[in-house]
Amino acid sequence: MSPLEMPTASWIVLAVVQALLMLFLAPLATGFSRVIRAKMHSRQGPGVLQDYRDIAKLLRRQSVAPANAGMIFWMTPWVLVVTMLLIGMALPTVTQVSPFPISGDLITDIYLLAIFRFFFALAGIDSNSMFAGIGSSRELTLGILVEPILILAIVVVALVVGTTDLGYISHALANNSWHRPLTIILAGIVCAFALFIEMGKLPFDSAEAEQELQEGPVTEYSGSALAMVKLGLGLKQLVVVQLFLAIFIPWGKASSLTAGALISATIILLVKLFIVFLIAGLIENSMARVRFTKIHRTIFPAFLVAVLALIFLILGW
Amino acid sequence: MNPLVLVCFCVISYAVAAVLSFAGRHHEQASLRLAGVISAFGGLFGIIAGVSTVVMGTHGHSIAHLGQFFSMDMLSALMVVVISVVTMAASVYSINYLEEYFGKGGWKVNILFNIFAAAMTALVVSANVMIFIVFMEIISVASWLIVISDGSAQSKKAGFQYFIIDHIASVLILCAFLIVVSNADSYQFSVIMANPVTGATASIVFLFALAGFGIKAAGIGLHGWLPKAYPIAPSYCSTLISCVMVKIGIYGILKFAILFLGATQLWWGFVVLVFGALSSVLGVMYALAEHDIKRLLAYHTIENIGIILIGVGVSMIGIASHQPLLALLGLLGGLYHLLNHAVFKGLLCLGSGSIVFRMHSKEMDDMGGLAKTMPKTAIAFLIGTLAICALPPLNGFVSEWFIYQSLFSMGKTGTVANLIFGPFGMVMLAFTGALACMCFVKVYGICFTGAPKTQQAANTREVGPAMVTATTALAILCIVLGVCSPWIAPYFSAIAASVLQLAPVTVAHGLSVYPAVADQAILSTPVIMIALALLTLVPTALLYLFRQRRLERRHQGDPWACGYQYEQRMTVSAASITRPMRQMFGFIYNNRPSQSLTERFILPVFYKGTDTAVLSGSKVCLFCIFSVLFVLLFIPFISGVSC
Repeated sequence: MSPLEMPTASWIVLAVVQALLMLFLAPLATGFSRVIRAKMHSRQGPGVLQDYRDIAKLLRRQSVAPANAGMIFWMTPWVLVVTMLLIGMALPTVTQVSPFPISGDLITDIYLLAIFRFFFALAGIDSNSMFAGIGSSRELTLGILVEPILILAIVVVALVVGTTDLGYISHALANNSWHRPLTIILAGIVCAFALFIEMGKLPFDSAEAEQELQEGPVTEYSGSALAMVKLGLGLKQLVVVQLFLAIFIPWGKASSLTAGALISATIILLVKLFIVFLIAGLIENSMARVRFTKIHRTIFPAFLVAVLALIFLILGW
Repeated sequence: MNPLVLVCFCVISYAVAAVLSFAGRHHEQASLRLAGVISAFGGLFGIIAGVSTVVMGTHGHSIAHLGQFFSMDMLSALMVVVISVVTMAASVYSINYLEEYFGKGGWKVNILFNIFAAAMTALVVSANVMIFIVFMEIISVASWLIVISDGSAQSKKAGFQYFIIDHIASVLILCAFLIVVSNADSYQFSVIMANPVTGATASIVFLFALAGFGIKAAGIGLHGWLPKAYPIAPSYCSTLISCVMVKIGIYGILKFAILFLGATQLWWGFVVLVFGALSSVLGVMYALAEHDIKRLLAYHTIENIGIILIGVGVSMIGIASHQPLLALLGLLGGLYHLLNHAVFKGLLCLGSGSIVFRMHSKEMDDMGGLAKTMPKTAIAFLIGTLAICALPPLNGFVSEWFIYQSLFSMGKTGTVANLIFGPFGMVMLAFTGALACMCFVKVYGICFTGAPKTQQAANTREVGPAMVTATTALAILCIVLGVCSPWIAPYFSAIAASVLQLAPVTVAHGLSVYPAVADQAILSTPVIMIALALLTLVPTALLYLFRQRRLERRHQGDPWACGYQYEQRMTVSAASITRPMRQMFGFIYNNRPSQSLTERFILPVFYKGTDTAVLSGSKVCLFCIFSVLFVLLFIPFISGVSC
């Protein structure tokens, strides 16, 4: 592998375009989830573009916050979108290597996700609402339970390849490094599980439980600020899914920066995203919510599977 | 110029400040402020001495000498910088902070503060076992007197416990020194380094040193004194205790394990690594359960000491398994975190001191909404919380990233033990990071955001300019040490290389840092900073495109309460945020190692019940001081060497 370097201008342009496209597609992804849910509930439901209409309308509306909310409450929508865009820039979505390897280090990405969580939870407390406060607490608790699993699963794969750069891992797995298939598959299962929780969907959607806790830390947002938070949350779903795709399903990406290769890679990517969101939607809507205080009992076995993946790595399987 | 001369100036400044505090005790307002300025200059001298040594530093164990007893190498230069940065900030802070102590013995506290700082500075540049131990004892006594300075029964009890535990550590350290001194037949560190102890004796020395300095560093299981002693001391002194004094413990572990003994045994490294990992996770776990802001910060010190020890452990494994790159990377991360922790923790300690200064309460549930009444302190504190949670691009992230990378490099070497402990360390670090995130959302959320929970909190106002300056300066330093990492990391590589007697490796290239191997990973904090700043244009543009007739945002009314009347007490409290965690991990909270070690076995030897402890405490303390001095005088005779 060649040394990691600062990306050149054309790669940076690609990275920015890719991040903006992801932001643009975020409402489509969440809208698609709503369509699946409506279908599974046997009801008509809104169209797939409904989230675009929602966000466009909310963006034109005034934001109102509780009297005591402060600086953090207003900062957070920006922070959510910006951190996810930065990860989005780094993901090797259509290219074999990361277009922006500066933020494409796995450890950096996990801590960028932590910035998201930090501000999201803090905004919930800042809004002074008790529902938002409980939502914040749950969001943070989930983070604590998920982060060790996620890092162990990813580190196992990274150790197989020998680098923590997302682009290089993706490239290596796409081209040759399946000499330890059992390890990688097991790590992939655990990683999918952990990232599914990060997507904030049922049965683990306890931070933003619509029915009982009024969407957690989002509770008090309104108008344009709410639109931005919704965009940020949708973008996070897309980013998290593509993080998984980049590592574990890395095939069908452009090896050079030509228009034809990029377009065909984009189409393949959209198909992959469609399938993943379909599966995630099916899982989400066929499950009951896990009771929050028991959630660690569901998550702990996943950690053991990740440990098993590490054992497989040591055994060289 | 000999940097040690500057260190002398530094120590002399502290001494002058101490004398001034005493001489001007009847005019405290003027004398204590002047003393604060003088000790701040002392800190400045220390910083110049340390930084110049590191920047111009040559290879070798001893760069500068002052007589037979003092010498300076890269490691002690770093330690001088760490001590001086925190002391300088705390001195500036004291200019306003000591107002509260006028007429209440503020001059006494300030004398102790200066003695404490001077002794620590002198300790890290000492080149002789006797000097080292004498200063170690001065530090112990000064910090003990600081802890009991408010004279309350609670502080005497905490001080007593601290004193006992600290002297048990001193005895263990004396034992370790006794063996290496008699082996080398000299008190000079240089001779001891040249004649390392070998065989099983080396392991015994290592364990003595690890236990002794582990207590001083407040590693888990040996930490019982810190959360008790730290919250009671005046804020600007306790900053020195929790940010700097514990680092003396790390310095001691480094000195023994790597410099004196050469980290020859592989298992030493694993012991330090596991000790560090457990300290970091359990430290932050206990911090989560606290609602007293000072105790919470004390537990976070334990966490960060653990993180530093993980780096040191990786380094020792690297030395023992003859992998210079691993040794360098681990030590680089550990030492970088050592400085970073001093800076962000100094900021948080002083910031929480500012809160307590206005609130007169350490209870987080009394606070709330302080970001509106104390905006400057709040912003600085927020930067500190982001740094301690290791969020990019601040300093805590950069050093933790290096430690992650060193653990990853360790896993890459492929031996079974490394494949187990490398990922183990990374998982523990990730767990610690997520827990710290929760903990500091709680601290900042409960104290600074939302509505004031008491009248006291609503009536607070911004603290004085000196206190704001100190916290702001440290906040800026948090950003600088993080964002400028490509220019700072090479110096840490040089320090680590000098400690390990290896050639330094390149860890920075242009705007980025990488873990010596350029295809393993890359990190560029300046570019991340710029990218984050530029990406804010995207939401801004979006809001601009959809502006139309949108009105300005506004604040109105109470949060929604399902149609019921909203009440302030409905909101989350310090306890309720962490409740799910405390439920899920109940088994950890119910079996605390500190209680089992110190409170169950050691302290009952000295007292039964609480009252007698206060009565007999001072006598026992005197006894301890005399016994240590006695042992000290005896060493030359026992080991049969001349000083």
